[in-house]
Amino acid sequence: MKTPLKNSSTLLALLLLMAFVLPLFAGEYLIHIGVLVLFYAYMAVAWNILGGYAGQHSLGHALFMGIGAYTSTYLFTRLGLTPWIGMWLGGALAGLTGWFVGYLCFRYGLKGPYFALVTIAMAEAAVYLVNNITAVGGAQGLEVAWTGSAPLLMQFDGKSGYYYVILVMSILAVWLSSWLIKRRFGYQLVSVRENEDAAEALGVDTLRVKIQASIISAIMTALGGTFFAQYFTYINPRNVFGEGPSIQILLFAIIGGLGTVWGPVVGALVLVPVAELSRGWLGGSFAGAHILLYGTVLVLVMLFMPNGIVGLYEKLRGKMKSYRSSNQGSEAS
Amino acid sequence: MLVVSDLRRDFDGLTAVHDLSFTVEPGEIVGMIGPNGAGKTTTFAMLAGFLTPTSGEILFQGKRINNLKPHQVCKLGLTRTFQIVQPFPDMTALENIMVGAYVRYPNTTDAKHKAMEVLERVNLLHKADTLGKNLTLIELKRLEIGKALATEPSLLLLDEVASGLKDAEVDNILVLVRQLNKEGITFLIVEHLMKVIMNLSQRVIVLDFGQMIGQGTPQEVSRNPAVLAAYLGKEEE
Amino acid sequence: MVFSFELFGQALVTGILIGGIFALISVGLSLIWGVMRIINFAHGEFLMIAMYIAYFLVVKGGWDPYLTIFVTAPALFLIGVLIFQSTIRPILKDPSMNQIMLTVGLSLILQNLALVFFKADVLTANTAYTRLNFFLGPVVVRGSQLIAFVGSGLAAFLLYWFLQKTETGRAIRAASINRDAATLVGINVRNTYLLAFGIGSASLGVAASLMIPFYYTSPTVGLFFGLIAYVVVVLGGLGNFPGALVAGLIIGLTESIGASLLPGSLARVLTFGIFIIVLLLRPQGIFGGKQK
Repeated sequence: MKTPLKNSSTLLALLLLMAFVLPLFAGEYLIHIGVLVLFYAYMAVAWNILGGYAGQHSLGHALFMGIGAYTSTYLFTRLGLTPWIGMWLGGALAGLTGWFVGYLCFRYGLKGPYFALVTIAMAEAAVYLVNNITAVGGAQGLEVAWTGSAPLLMQFDGKSGYYYVILVMSILAVWLSSWLIKRRFGYQLVSVRENEDAAEALGVDTLRVKIQASIISAIMTALGGTFFAQYFTYINPRNVFGEGPSIQILLFAIIGGLGTVWGPVVGALVLVPVAELSRGWLGGSFAGAHILLYGTVLVLVMLFMPNGIVGLYEKLRGKMKSYRSSNQGSEAS
Repeated sequence: MLVVSDLRRDFDGLTAVHDLSFTVEPGEIVGMIGPNGAGKTTTFAMLAGFLTPTSGEILFQGKRINNLKPHQVCKLGLTRTFQIVQPFPDMTALENIMVGAYVRYPNTTDAKHKAMEVLERVNLLHKADTLGKNLTLIELKRLEIGKALATEPSLLLLDEVASGLKDAEVDNILVLVRQLNKEGITFLIVEHLMKVIMNLSQRVIVLDFGQMIGQGTPQEVSRNPAVLAAYLGKEEE
Repeated sequence: MVFSFELFGQALVTGILIGGIFALISVGLSLIWGVMRIINFAHGEFLMIAMYIAYFLVVKGGWDPYLTIFVTAPALFLIGVLIFQSTIRPILKDPSMNQIMLTVGLSLILQNLALVFFKADVLTANTAYTRLNFFLGPVVVRGSQLIAFVGSGLAAFLLYWFLQKTETGRAIRAASINRDAATLVGINVRNTYLLAFGIGSASLGVAASLMIPFYYTSPTVGLFFGLIAYVVVVLGGLGNFPGALVAGLIIGLTESIGASLLPGSLARVLTFGIFIIVLLLRPQGIFGGKQK
């Protein structure tokens, strides 16, 4: 199993420090990129629990993002409930949905592409369903009216407030992810991914484990949905339930390294700034160029380094190790 | 310990197993042989919970396990290995075995401890940190046994554990199985290799065309005309 | 939600006609998926490319839309072959999720190339057939849709005939059933896959030319049709041609009648609902097809 990439804790501490002080030095635009990096890293880590660890690739994860976003935003704009509470209600609803989707799919033994197709269909169905619910704005969506700095309502003056929120969320997510993988649950998840029959034969309740992964992933994703709503202040069925968000959620996990703790973070860290900078640079005349970049990288990664950036690093490190050890005469591992 | 009565399994018009009844007493090593297609794998699958019998009963330690899922059967103390090894490729040998160890030891430290013990048992301690996909066949076979051992089974189903192995390696496996049996594990072994069956089993069950055609000690069975006909007859065809 | 026979009749007719197009779009996918077990998530985007080609030939070149088939079909065949050789062939033996992710990447690339070059504009072609209408009592039959329906049927039939009666076609079918056995009898499986992919793509070229008189094109037009193709293929059974035809009609009717009965875009929810139920309860499709 892939253990944390940065086993040097000083390196980690340094990065964390840098992350925390970034807003003190950087301008609004750079902080915005920081928010994006952290947001996509967070979502990728959440997706990774079901898609990477458990190996069940959901291509419709935006379903949960949308549930989170719409629940907290609806409660906020219509009932004045602070998103800090609303997000947990959204999470609970998403968790329930995650259970439902997981139970339905896994109980009927859906795997791989068929599971992916069902998740796509569910997310798409959600788009069209919500399109027709006027109570939540239908196709027009909902707007989070920004009324000034109100931290208790998850609204901040300037970007740094949001930055710190998503930073903490990301840290917690990565921590949870690395904690899970070392426990029995983590081992069982990975064993299901690696060989489901063998796992069953060894006493792993594969159905329950997969459903649990689905629930956890769903809740985490929904919380991210609330953040999305608060930061971007506008949600509609397409931008929170659509295939765009679904793909963006998993993109960085795949490019960074599926099933690893840090892969999703690395993927976002490497790709998002490049894409966003090029988007700003090329301007409106090349709208879509950054997604073009994502697509190209995805294709290239699948062709040449399907284990992602972290996977490639591990492989190279393995080669380095054997090179070093062959000098001492021991066999390559 | 294991009582199988009138076991039957149909597949879409084909009857793979029928009228199968046998027992396995605690502490025994029972062998199951038969030509290809005789129904051995199907029987194993039913015992371990991967297939549900069409009719008949499987009683394990007095409990009816017909409709249990594999992980439930494993928790009761019946574990199987797979004929074609089924490792977890991207997990190390240690981690592979830990998956099994977690059944009895939910705590990670305990599970790791148990797994290390098992690794030593199956002679894979030196490969503890090697990924499953980088192990050789004999190592994978030992890993397969190790994973099952970690679940601390009362009855261990070995499915063609010797296939593809060299003579010396087969002897190693024989020694291991005998040792484990002395320590109290009951075995039901499916094998093609006569050497294994003759040397290990106290009793042999012979299957052909989905039903039992003979039973007895290895010597008795090797002289049973029905058994000989089944094997020789197949060769002539 | 006013129910009337006229409305129902209209929905019925439109549904059948649209269903034919759905069927044509899907048989290509059924072929590719059935033969190579590859789920091409860029299938809809191939259609989109073809529709742009057809559009520009019609609008800038003044072509008769149906004559564009002579360009779109070969062009799509070529594009399919190129994409197959460069991106798909290398990963044929990789885990299916890698293949899916790759085609997802392809669809992102194609969609956004279109966006960059043609902007997000929705483009409709005005052809001689666009306003051609027949009247069946109170029901309006759009001539362009009727021609598309007939054309789809012809194309599907041609494809079916090719697969059943020609040696190449049989080679494709053999390779899809058992690639090892096919190799043993001398079939070049790689080339067979290539051909299947090319033909599957070419069929989208035909579909695009048939659609351009009554349907718009835009960078995202492939999303919907791609998804519909999946629904139809799963419903009809993987690799099951006649199944895809019938399933196409069923989905076309669902969309059409659903749209007339249900408010807004809820009909689509119905379509996806059917999709999910079939995937859960009968993934081999109503008529049975290859298992994954």
